[in-house]
Amino acid sequence: MDFVPGGELSRRIRAGDVSAEGELIRQFEPGLRVLLRRRTGGDHALLQDLVQDTLLVVIQRLRGAGIDDPQKLAAFAAQTARNLAIASLRKAERQRTDIDSDLTDRNPDPAQGVEERAADLEAALAVRALLRELPQPRDRLMLKRFYLDDHDKDFICKEMDLSEAAFNQALSRARRRFRQILEERGFSKRDLLSLGL
Amino acid sequence: MSQAEAEAFEEYCLANPEFAKQVEFEQRLKLGLAQVARGPTAEFVRSNQPVRWKIAAAAAVLLGLSAAFYAFHGNPAGSRPLLAAVSGDAQQAGSTMRLALVRGAETSPVLQGGLVRVEIVGLFDTGIHYSVTLDRLQPKKAIDTLATLYGQHPSSPMTLEVLIDSDQLEAATYSLRVRKQSSDEEALDFNFVKY
Repeated sequence: MDFVPGGELSRRIRAGDVSAEGELIRQFEPGLRVLLRRRTGGDHALLQDLVQDTLLVVIQRLRGAGIDDPQKLAAFAAQTARNLAIASLRKAERQRTDIDSDLTDRNPDPAQGVEERAADLEAALAVRALLRELPQPRDRLMLKRFYLDDHDKDFICKEMDLSEAAFNQALSRARRRFRQILEERGFSKRDLLSLGL
Repeated sequence: MSQAEAEAFEEYCLANPEFAKQVEFEQRLKLGLAQVARGPTAEFVRSNQPVRWKIAAAAAVLLGLSAAFYAFHGNPAGSRPLLAAVSGDAQQAGSTMRLALVRGAETSPVLQGGLVRVEIVGLFDTGIHYSVTLDRLQPKKAIDTLATLYGQHPSSPMTLEVLIDSDQLEAATYSLRVRKQSSDEEALDFNFVKY
């Protein structure tokens, strides 16, 4: 994907160029997901809502008054996302009521968290496919040490008697293949569709 | 990561969608690994405990060897060869049967029970290897070859000795066929019976 500078995007959107709005969405959506994931505590539905709300706010602003420094469009979008996440938290705080937690535990809402579970399942399936493909048991162990046990690279290399180059190569290969598996499963398309494009 | 660093990182992600995608795939990978690690699948058992797999493999091999050892040593009768070469004086004990080609003989030697030392009497070349084959002879049936020894040396120009485990033989008529190896000379057949 070609990166379009914020100044140019701002100018074109202000001029009514609909394709520029599409480019802005494609350009900012991955970063907004990263930013908002940390602030939504694993609530996939809320994450999607906030990504859409942020993009709508940014596009409406560019269509109308515009922003002071169009070159800082990314910073503006990031701050908008943070503000919306904070507002969402405040709203949730206001709406929170005392509940009978025992009763809630006994009667979980099956519809709640379906998307999260689907996302978890999708990731788990992709990981299983990846693990099946890894030629060396050592590579599986390395992934576990790195991602689950949070051991740093030096520690893992020493523990497993690996060179840094071998570690980097195995990790890079696993990342690439995992991404490929997820993309084959339509991961990217689904995320764009959820934005209503 | 400080607040300012975190915000700079987030803005970098917005300005670099490909980097942001990679970050998200990393998050997914971590999430997926956690899911798999929590589940009942064996992916991490294989990878996490290579030593256990080695131990299991070693145990399987040990079990196999134990079974083989028992088969050979736990059941002596079954472990002994049916037909064996004589080696040393240790095998002097037990019964003996002498086999010779006697013109006009109307009876066959009788094989006793247990481990029997068989002396085959004839004219042998001590510098030649002989093969000795034990056959079961059944009326109106093809000869049933039970065992063959190769590379046998006569103990003297008159005697070639072998051991037969009689307990492994059922009641029948048998033949020991002695042949010079690497020769087209006719074989000599020595019959005996086991009751």
